[in-house]
Amino acid sequence: MDITPRDRVLMAINHEVPDRPPIVLGTSNATGIKMATYQKLKVLLGIDAPDDYLYDWPELGTAAIDEETMLRLHSDVRGVLDLEPATVLGRNRGREPHSDYVDSWGSGAREIKPGDWFPMVHPLASATTVEEIEAHEWPDMTDPTRIAHVAEQAKQLADDGQYAIMATPWLLFPLERAFAMQGMDTFLMNMVIYPDFAEALLWKLQEMCKALMGPFLAALGPNVDIIKIGDDLGTQESLLMSPDMYRQVLKPIHADWVDFIKARTDAKLFFHTDGDVFPLIDDFVDMGIDILNPIQTSAGKMSNIEELASRYGSKIVFCGAIDTQRILPHGTPDEVRAEVRRVIDILGPTGGYMVSSVHTIMNDVPAENVLALVDAVEEYGREAARR
Amino acid sequence: MSNEELLDVLYDAVVRGDRDTAVTQVKSGLESGVAPMTMLFDSMIPALEEVGSLFETGEIFLPEMLVAGRAMQAGMDLVRPHLADETAAHAGTFVMGTIAGDIHDIGKNLCNVMLEGNGFKVIDLGINVPPEEFVAAISEHKPDAVGLSAFLTTTMPELKTTIDALIEAGVRDGTKILVGGAPVTQEHADEIGADGYAPNAAVLVRTVKELIAA
Repeated sequence: MDITPRDRVLMAINHEVPDRPPIVLGTSNATGIKMATYQKLKVLLGIDAPDDYLYDWPELGTAAIDEETMLRLHSDVRGVLDLEPATVLGRNRGREPHSDYVDSWGSGAREIKPGDWFPMVHPLASATTVEEIEAHEWPDMTDPTRIAHVAEQAKQLADDGQYAIMATPWLLFPLERAFAMQGMDTFLMNMVIYPDFAEALLWKLQEMCKALMGPFLAALGPNVDIIKIGDDLGTQESLLMSPDMYRQVLKPIHADWVDFIKARTDAKLFFHTDGDVFPLIDDFVDMGIDILNPIQTSAGKMSNIEELASRYGSKIVFCGAIDTQRILPHGTPDEVRAEVRRVIDILGPTGGYMVSSVHTIMNDVPAENVLALVDAVEEYGREAARR
Repeated sequence: MSNEELLDVLYDAVVRGDRDTAVTQVKSGLESGVAPMTMLFDSMIPALEEVGSLFETGEIFLPEMLVAGRAMQAGMDLVRPHLADETAAHAGTFVMGTIAGDIHDIGKNLCNVMLEGNGFKVIDLGINVPPEEFVAAISEHKPDAVGLSAFLTTTMPELKTTIDALIEAGVRDGTKILVGGAPVTQEHADEIGADGYAPNAAVLVRTVKELIAA
């Protein structure tokens, strides 16, 4: 009898080699597909399904993928998400078209050209003092409409038992939240100029994140396999900040965050962090992170997946590694298949490898390449696993 | 404080990203008659070069680089009015912008500081710059080089669109075009007909100087 997709994921998470590497697609923004590519996929597949968005959030632009397409993509996971409070969703739906989207935190996005929204609204852009942090009108993280759907949705998926359940409350990432509140360059500078303020803001954001994560995990109960958190710590060429600064300021926050979650669930912890984060992988292992994503192979030392596999293959599970900067948007389907085979050959034997694109599949990716990706896993992944 | 000490303190302030000290030093230098050129060439520019090299060798990272750039910028703002035009732009004129549909500007802004610190007059067109604005700026300023920045794979096609628009408008040939930004590569730069590619601000300065000298 064939193993279920969930079994496949659980095996990989436990560093066993399943019948093929699991596919993680469509469950969260960073493992998701943007709307235009999703629409192209539906046309190619002859699937008729609504253009729904993750988090009911059109400005994010990431598709909530229908079940028929999820099946065709051989995705082995299903997602559970939170929502912005009903009042905030309602306010944004009713706002003047093309005006700024503003979330419950006061941060938001601006439309640069029709349909293209960028995070450019930063409510604490000029703040440099603890007083200003305290004076900010912080959102009500315990608003029940954020998670009213979570318990039932997770229970249905668990009763069905077919798929691994991956839960991702939106951006409960302290550093990226700080970027949203202040702007990325402003906050990075404040880490140097006003280190006490920067640290206080991070801890305040973490407190807010906990206020939602606690009830969210309680609503999930045992019906969850993977919790996704993260913070982008790498750039195209190296780390975003020095290892010293990371270890001094942010690592204690991440460690506390991991402990908070692990004290409340048996689910595995999935940590999303873009860019070249190679020098911090020992820190991630040390903190108890189980799954590392997205393995941005186009960035610096992360391209050396042989070394990743040999040094960390038994310590952490890799999820991602299929390049979205060159291969998926610009490659041919044959080149996509060749890359999938290459990555499976290197990361697959460690057991702990789950296939996904490096971050969201953007609107410049041909639908044929998305299918080439998943079909190569289905075909070649099985062949490789038998060896 | 002797002039030499003043220049040392200024150098140190730029490297450490201490904007207040940099500003104080430049002000007191101007008051006590230290030549603006001397502050620029014997202190601030070498300091910025040091910052660039510390960044390239991984001794400092983006946060430290950003505050150093900010200190340099504040010092430059005070020095600039005292420089003759030909001094401020002794290395050349550079038109810079993030291409249409893209708003990422951290890398671009660092490039601006490095360019200015290295003697370029920089005309920054900002973010989300449509091709026609590049055309207009080139016609007006006759720059030695133009920098196009793109951060996303989805906005990268605008690099080619912009270059094509410059050719179409007949302003391409008199200037050098450099491209950069996270997903951009040398290969892509060659493909779309750019003259140069730089993965970071320090390399940009070297590359543009070579291109102009060639």
